[in-house]
Amino acid sequence: MVVTLHRENSLVRFLRWAYAGVDRTIFMALKFTFPSRFVSPLGFLGMLTFVIFIILGITGALLMLWYEPILDRAWDSVQNINDTIPYGFHMRNIHYHASNAMVMMAILHMYYQYFSGRYKIRNEILWVTGVILGVLTILEAFTGYDIIFSERAELAISIAASLTNSIPILGPQMRDAFFGSGFHDFVLRFYAFHVFLLPIAMLGLMVVHFPRFLVFDVPMVMAITGAIMLTGGVFPVEMGLKFDPNVPPGITVPEWYLTGLYAFLRTQYDKFVTGVAWPGLFIFSLLIIPFVDKYKKFSWKDRPLITAVGITSLAQIIVTTYWGFYIDPNRTKSLLERLVIDPIFFYIVMLLLVPLSFGFTYMMIKLAKNAEANAKLQPRKPGGKTAINFPKKWIYIVFVVLLAFQVYLNISAYYAVLNGMKNYSLFIIGIIMLVFAGMFHIYRHGTTMARAPPPKPTTPPTTAKPMPSAPKTVPPVPKPTTTEPLTAPPVQKASSSAQVATETSGTAAAAAAAATPQTGASASSNSKTGDTTNVLAERSSTTEVHKK
Amino acid sequence: MTQQAPPGSGGKVSRRDFLKLMAAAGTVMTFAPFVDWGKFLPNPAANVSERAKVELPDGSQANIKTFQVNHSEAIIYPKADDPSLNKEAFRTWQFIRLPEELGGNKNDASAFRVYSMVCLHLWCLWKYWPEEGRKRGECPCHGSMYDPLTGMAFAGPASLQSPPSNVLPVLDLEVDNDGSIWIKPPNWSVNGNGIVGFGRYIT
Repeated sequence: MVVTLHRENSLVRFLRWAYAGVDRTIFMALKFTFPSRFVSPLGFLGMLTFVIFIILGITGALLMLWYEPILDRAWDSVQNINDTIPYGFHMRNIHYHASNAMVMMAILHMYYQYFSGRYKIRNEILWVTGVILGVLTILEAFTGYDIIFSERAELAISIAASLTNSIPILGPQMRDAFFGSGFHDFVLRFYAFHVFLLPIAMLGLMVVHFPRFLVFDVPMVMAITGAIMLTGGVFPVEMGLKFDPNVPPGITVPEWYLTGLYAFLRTQYDKFVTGVAWPGLFIFSLLIIPFVDKYKKFSWKDRPLITAVGITSLAQIIVTTYWGFYIDPNRTKSLLERLVIDPIFFYIVMLLLVPLSFGFTYMMIKLAKNAEANAKLQPRKPGGKTAINFPKKWIYIVFVVLLAFQVYLNISAYYAVLNGMKNYSLFIIGIIMLVFAGMFHIYRHGTTMARAPPPKPTTPPTTAKPMPSAPKTVPPVPKPTTTEPLTAPPVQKASSSAQVATETSGTAAAAAAAATPQTGASASSNSKTGDTTNVLAERSSTTEVHKK
Repeated sequence: MTQQAPPGSGGKVSRRDFLKLMAAAGTVMTFAPFVDWGKFLPNPAANVSERAKVELPDGSQANIKTFQVNHSEAIIYPKADDPSLNKEAFRTWQFIRLPEELGGNKNDASAFRVYSMVCLHLWCLWKYWPEEGRKRGECPCHGSMYDPLTGMAFAGPASLQSPPSNVLPVLDLEVDNDGSIWIKPPNWSVNGNGIVGFGRYIT
């Protein structure tokens, strides 16, 4: 953010005074960075997850004003919110889609951290709390869609309770303790879990989970918020049928983040094994990953086994998620026949995915290393090229795809208008926020360009490309990458001049960014990607200083 | 830990270790009374100490002289004052007079059965089908079938579940001199009357 305050009026003085007071609080331990140019969002997916958590908190608190967690009123109160309360529809849709986005972000965040190996540098606590937070996030989302108490919610509750029951020895007592007895208790207790117990546990864990360096990228936050609203406009969430125990429910599948588990349950194998032991094993193996991973390097290319395990888990998640959704469309078959997944077939596929994923990983690493070697052989191109250089053919393809998407959006918007404009306005707000995000980005880019000194031909591109792993863009620095992260925690990096400037005051940061855009940019990306790029960023900043 | 090796006193506990043990035991005992507070969590409302009427949907008490053979009704137990609580699936029970071949003609409580209507598979509400060739409890959701004599699932997904989740919870009945049918106070445990939505062991 480029904000320059010239005059020292009373408001500025008050802000300065408040800022100095904040110095005494724990917030000073956090280093917030507002990047002054585009940085890959992969590095701050966690922050985006947190932003979505806040959105969920706000919309959820507002929904609490109207929702009634009572057996025969829950569904009707949601219907009331959806249909009669002004903007209730908006709140509910934002809340719903944000919950999906939060689960998705958390999963992406985890896998990015996994493949980039960032849990290695004394980040084990962050990793472990992160995995627990992820589980709580899914539980939070799960309790959320249960308290609507639609047909699907009832099925989900019954599955959850029967899984709790299936735990040996303590299961029935646990069910009694956490669920109470009967649907009336279930709805009320799930509500208590959803609005208080789980969020408070999550907040507590977040205190431990937050790293000291945080990136708050305004355009990206705006884009995510806009995307949530846009999705709410295009795919407004349905009410579902009110649960009536005398009416046989249709086939319903859970939300997408639980269909993987559902696929296991649908094999009709023992409930405890399929529904508790397998997911428990999966979560446990995620928890111990940092303690098992003994590779000295970070990049996924240098940790073949860990990468292969990660790819396997991804492949299995994708396959089971799809399988959980898939229901035999042949209606002449009996319900059970359509629902049950043949366990032998299912588990054979699961097992087959292991060698396939390992082979895939092997191939990817081979290709990546080849590409790296080729890039090294060829002479480095002179600087001054743009960050994005597509071949012309691809530009046309992207353009056509975007056009098709726009046509699709227009049709959806048209249907939304037919449905009474509610989701149309949500859609429009989403578009507005996305456009704002784009404008902000372009403005920021423009100001950076305007202040940039003439391009130096020798400047290597640091983290300009939004590639999946940061180390990939960094030419391998043989010695420092291995030793640096172990010896130097990110705390010391704050001593680099640009970094300090960014933290201490906005004006100074703006000035610093204006003076040396390259330094400012690398400093922001520095805190983003943590430690592997630190070396390079620091080096580039020092060289800049030299040149002056 | 002790700085010096304890004197070779042949398995005797040192004074320091003994005190540590006492402190640990004291801490445990201080917090032991709170364990019972865990009873705050389960719902005690289901505990009934007196016998209750078998109240048919029309409001009358079921009578052995008027209730037909091979017939069933849905009843609410335990009945609450709050009508919304009475809609609770976990309070709905299937009151069955067995068909003739299973002893439904007898004029005592053995001709009747009361099973929880909550299917042990996924908690839909099953019901009794008196038609010739069926005469069994069937769940509309995934086709679990229950034997009216014992409450055991013999077909469908519920029958594949391991005990106690394949036998329906049951209520014990008694008949007074007028022929009115009463429900005896239940014992909600897997070895007694069973747990609704979970099942019981056949004793």
